[in-house]
Amino acid sequence: MFRSDQVNTLPADRIVILQAAILLLFIIIFLRLWYFQVYKGDVYAQKAQANITRIQSIHAPRGLIRDRNGNILADNRPAYGLAMIRENSADVQATLQQVSDWTDVPTSKLSDRFEQGRDKVRSFEPLLLVPNLTFDQLAYIEARIHNWPDLNIITRPLRTYPYGAPFSHVLGYVAQANEKELRANPRLTLGDMIGKQGVEKTFEDILHGQKGRKHLQVNAQGRILHSSITQPPQPGSNLDLTLDCELQQFVWESLGDHAGAVVVMEPVTGKIRALVSKPGYDNNLFVRGLSMEKWEDLLHDPSHPLQNRLIQSAYPPGSVFKLAVAGCALARSEITTSTSFYCSGRYRLGNGLFRCWRRYGHGRLEMKEAIARSCDVYFYNLGEELGISKIHSFCTQAGFGQKTGIRLPNEQAGLIPSKEWKLRRFGQPWQGGESVITAIGQGYTTSTPLQVARFISALVNGGRLLQPLLQHDASPRVQNSLPLQDAHREFIRQAMIHTVEGKRGTARRLRLPGATIGAKTGTAQVVRLTKKHEDKETEEIPYKFRDHAWMAAFGQQGDASYVVVTLVEHGGHGSSAAGPIVKGIFEYLLDPEEAG
Amino acid sequence: MSPFDRRLFTHLNWTLLLWSLALFGLGVMNLYSASSLRGEGGMTTYSFYQKQMLWGLFGMGGLIICSSFDYRHLRSLAWPLYWVSLGLLLTVLLTGESIYGASRWIDLGLFHFQPTELAKLSCLLLTALLLTRTPTLLAWSSLGRIMALILLPVGLIIVQPDLGSGLNILLLAGGMMFYHGIRPRVFWTLSLAAIALMPLGWFGLQDYQKERILTFLNPETDPLGAGYNILQSQIAIGSGQTWGKGFLEGTQSQLRFLPEKHTDFVFAVFGEEWGFAGTILLLILFCLFLYQIIMVIQDSKDRFGHYLAVGVFFYFFWQIAINMGMVLGLLPVVGIPLPFLSYGGTSTLINFCFLGLALNVSMRRFVFKTD
Repeated sequence: MFRSDQVNTLPADRIVILQAAILLLFIIIFLRLWYFQVYKGDVYAQKAQANITRIQSIHAPRGLIRDRNGNILADNRPAYGLAMIRENSADVQATLQQVSDWTDVPTSKLSDRFEQGRDKVRSFEPLLLVPNLTFDQLAYIEARIHNWPDLNIITRPLRTYPYGAPFSHVLGYVAQANEKELRANPRLTLGDMIGKQGVEKTFEDILHGQKGRKHLQVNAQGRILHSSITQPPQPGSNLDLTLDCELQQFVWESLGDHAGAVVVMEPVTGKIRALVSKPGYDNNLFVRGLSMEKWEDLLHDPSHPLQNRLIQSAYPPGSVFKLAVAGCALARSEITTSTSFYCSGRYRLGNGLFRCWRRYGHGRLEMKEAIARSCDVYFYNLGEELGISKIHSFCTQAGFGQKTGIRLPNEQAGLIPSKEWKLRRFGQPWQGGESVITAIGQGYTTSTPLQVARFISALVNGGRLLQPLLQHDASPRVQNSLPLQDAHREFIRQAMIHTVEGKRGTARRLRLPGATIGAKTGTAQVVRLTKKHEDKETEEIPYKFRDHAWMAAFGQQGDASYVVVTLVEHGGHGSSAAGPIVKGIFEYLLDPEEAG
Repeated sequence: MSPFDRRLFTHLNWTLLLWSLALFGLGVMNLYSASSLRGEGGMTTYSFYQKQMLWGLFGMGGLIICSSFDYRHLRSLAWPLYWVSLGLLLTVLLTGESIYGASRWIDLGLFHFQPTELAKLSCLLLTALLLTRTPTLLAWSSLGRIMALILLPVGLIIVQPDLGSGLNILLLAGGMMFYHGIRPRVFWTLSLAAIALMPLGWFGLQDYQKERILTFLNPETDPLGAGYNILQSQIAIGSGQTWGKGFLEGTQSQLRFLPEKHTDFVFAVFGEEWGFAGTILLLILFCLFLYQIIMVIQDSKDRFGHYLAVGVFFYFFWQIAINMGMVLGLLPVVGIPLPFLSYGGTSTLINFCFLGLALNVSMRRFVFKTD
């Protein structure tokens, strides 16, 4: 048992150490609690509030795109997507598996989306996994989603293009912003749709609108208890185009199976009535997210459906270009309207021999007849007389080789060659023969159908080079004036009318009683024909070697005035391939019966 | 020896028992809140509080056992228990099951046994025994001997790795020695050496332990990673403000913003729901609880019992101080539960056993006089 000394040596005075320890503990913890709960309580209460209040953005519907008559060309319909709120997820893999089972989207793809969204979407915000559910999927999932608190069905406005392909190149399409676009524009979040092509792209700022914000209060399961809109979304503004929906469809139909391009323009205002490039594509496919295979198919389709032939393809303008050369000759040389040349069917320059399209020649003719019958030899003479420098400077002022400024992406400028250009490009001096073939719109010269339409409009409207307009309420914008006297311009206009009305004009088939129609045909050589093909009719030549057929025309009746430029790829001769299409369009636009 | 001495009952420190039961009751209530609405992904609700009550029952059994025999028999058990626990710690290190990347458990079939807890008890007993036999202030030799004996199991525990428990034992023994008294020169030399060696100790830490200390120093650097617990627990506590959000109304703990809310971070749940008023009350309750242990120490009539109670005091004191300090961002995050409030089978059982030891000492403070 205990010895008494053990009891007596109990360190009783040491108790004070323990008491001090308790006191110290109390004071420190007390102060710390006071600091957090009383002094800084408000701050932490706010932080806690932020924890349970989730902010969601509300997608703003995109502005509608309408034609001049109010027909809706680009609409919005509700689309249902499946999104995940990461924070509510107990097992991400299980959820992704379930989503895959529901939607048939492979889990690997869902995983990719999930990983991609990880650093872009905050953990309590919905991360879009499947952007578009079919109605069947929606109904099926709706009935089962309550077991998955981390999954949300979200509704977004989805772009639809009710008319599809005929409008595909003008309207373009919207699609989800890619990585680069997201980086460039901090206002965008993953899954946001932006204009990628056409009007949708160039008028993105007008159409896009502003996202709204919604505050959600959630419980432990992430279920929404209360929601309030703190900032309503601002829908994008509507965009009224100058296009005529019915005309556009009519033009599309009248091109038939041909690949080609047609522009219908008001020469006085510069407004575009129709802008057709065929073949097109279904722009709705892009909105829903194009599969890789489908995209590859479109990209490598030999008929290039993604190419907007009106502005992105520069073709040799062929004989259509003779109008500009004629103007140049009148404005910049001694040549007058009554200057005549003899056409024997061939033209010699140095060692070179240049042929007229009409093998046996046209005989002696003046300029008006030369335009109407599209005599090559006459223009070879002009080319030699003028030289490339004058042609280059005049045609550049007439808008060739320069973008038209139509508000569509990726417009090409085309090319009017010059001595400097050739030296720069090929390191070789300009040859006289090259001026000669430039004068008939061959050689290096290329232009887009829209440039031609702008030029023809200027001939008709008093010499004003107008910016082609797509916005209905835009006012005409003069870019330049044709460097032509009124008399000369009127002469060329009359020559175009003569091409239609004249006994031997190349566009006789455009005649329309009661209306004034003027035109110029063109045949643009795709390749220099080999001897083998030279004498053959169009139908006998393999498709890809056939020439492109041009028809640049204007039609007037009373106050109504239109310029129609048509290019049929590999269509052969301008008159036969493009003529009927242009005639049909004028029949549609003008009303010959009533006037007659 | 009489079969049963009625004085055992009358001398028992009922207040200590009362405070501890009150704390345990608050703990169960708090766990009810922390574990309710815990449905995740439509899965089953997990009721920690019910399990905790079961553990409480086991704990009461442990308490009765630990207070029923005469604590003086433990003197002879101190050494054997020490060697057994050392052996078990070695066994666990070599063969133990790995749970959450740490090998701390021995599978006994019925339940998983943590030798760490036995080590706590044996170290307490051994330190008490050795201090009992040392009448003078601790000199280099006596202090070194105890430290060497304590550091052996502590080292084995820290490499498991279980920094929290290792620290707990070290501080418990340290507290007891400090209480006993250390020669001034030894004390100051050791203090300076400790400060000087601190940078060296840094390299002995595991990566995750370093990370915890770094995030403790600046939790904002990694708000979603290692700093997340600290920030979220501070938000939970702070947002309780003066009067709290009310029982079951704690949004932060309910919303799973607060991880480990039922174990090491229960205090945050409590602080959110009961506010400053509640946490201060809880703090006072803990202080009263500790104060009652001091009363046991004061009333103890033999050195061994005295030191035993001192050990129990430091055991609880450090857990409370470290846990609260950690939740309140005063100390780095180490896995130390809050006595009676944190969920956990072994810790609840051991807490009641240690409480039983203290009660044992208080019950038998007069017994020897009648023998």
